[in-house]
Amino acid sequence: MSTAARTINFTLNGRPVTADVKPHHNVVEFLQSQFALFGARESCGQGLCGCCTVLVDGKPVSGCLYLAVFLDGAEVVTVENLAEPGKLDLIQDAFIECGAFQCGYCTPGFIMMSRALLVQHPDPDDQQIRDYLTGNLCRCAAYPEIVNAVKMAARKSKAGSTGRS
Amino acid sequence: MTPFDLVEPASLEEAIALIDPDDPDVRAIAGGTALMLMMKAGVFSPKRLVSLRRIGDSFSKISTTTAGDLVVGAMTPLSAIENSPEVLRHAPVIARTMTRLSNVRVRNVATVGGALAHADPHMDLPPVLIALGASVTIVGPSGERGMAVEQLLTGYYETALAKNELITRVHIPALGATRAAYFKVTTGSADDWPALGVAVALDMVGSSVKSARIVVSAATTKATRMFAAEKALIGKSANDATLKTVADAAVGEAEILADVRGSASYKRELLRVYAARAVRAAIEARGGAHQ
Repeated sequence: MSTAARTINFTLNGRPVTADVKPHHNVVEFLQSQFALFGARESCGQGLCGCCTVLVDGKPVSGCLYLAVFLDGAEVVTVENLAEPGKLDLIQDAFIECGAFQCGYCTPGFIMMSRALLVQHPDPDDQQIRDYLTGNLCRCAAYPEIVNAVKMAARKSKAGSTGRS
Repeated sequence: MTPFDLVEPASLEEAIALIDPDDPDVRAIAGGTALMLMMKAGVFSPKRLVSLRRIGDSFSKISTTTAGDLVVGAMTPLSAIENSPEVLRHAPVIARTMTRLSNVRVRNVATVGGALAHADPHMDLPPVLIALGASVTIVGPSGERGMAVEQLLTGYYETALAKNELITRVHIPALGATRAAYFKVTTGSADDWPALGVAVALDMVGSSVKSARIVVSAATTKATRMFAAEKALIGKSANDATLKTVADAAVGEAEILADVRGSASYKRELLRVYAARAVRAAIEARGGAHQ
């Protein structure tokens, strides 16, 4: 019986990586300590607030409730990878344009969830947005602006993909 | 969390052999969302976890038998059940229940087998599965056995499973003309743990109820059938007078517990209201997942 670290291989933000991980470490601890990725952060620690959202094999999960060893073989995407360094993707742009945050602590989680939402529902209505983001908490209560930002991102994405501006 | 060992067997047999039935500090972990909460809270500090992840693919299929029964692999994530056309066609009440069960991230990771084995009385699926007459296949060192979900859940976080038995499949019988509804009643946010859950499945002959199952959860130590309430409903047409009798019977027989989501007397009043609403919703085949 061993509580020692073991080696896992996975794809992190498009790059194949190898890392040592202890069985009791969760994804947030792992990404912060081994890869200096701080976008996913632990807030409630119970999967309720969404601040720790990362995409594992394309699906959003709560990094605080996900054992890091389970990332072995997976494709992992964090908020740091949405756009090239120095640039923003259209969801991030829409959040700024709509003023969809105040303190910004919950924003990476909302943006990762919004990205997954737009893959599943490219043209979401208000109810779909509210249902999908119900597990994300914004203590500054920027909820109306967040819904607007998601809708704006959906519009821009649609316009981009059809070649219209 | 305190350090622990984690092993990832590649077969069901190996997984069962790795679980020492006499050691409470060794447990299986599927999606792990509920277990992580317990470990983070320090309620559970395992020495070793036996991960079922590597055998998950063999036990995460959704299929329909020739008899029309729905069979769901125990390692199926809740989101796969939520988005399955087969589930929607076979048991729309399950698909509707999913929309308010925790949140998207948890549903992507939590499994149906894990939800049943964990036996947290606040979970939404167990009362629905009991109302639908669902059963599970269980595998242990001495082979396979079947059991109704109603018998599986024996108490507060307690099941009839031996420590080295694992659920492999959930069977939901062909529903035919059965109508069902589930009401999740929360006193916090819509997707919070419920203060009360009420599931109803019934068959009608004309305007009268031929058979019925009424199950109460969250406010009780386990998802529990309300036999007196069922008896008060069977053979009757569901007018206001009948529904009042049914609701009173449920309130009379349910052993309601107080917790942070409400006092026992408050939850009894919730049950009085929602037992009647759930019966009516089932009859009208609406089937609210949430109120």
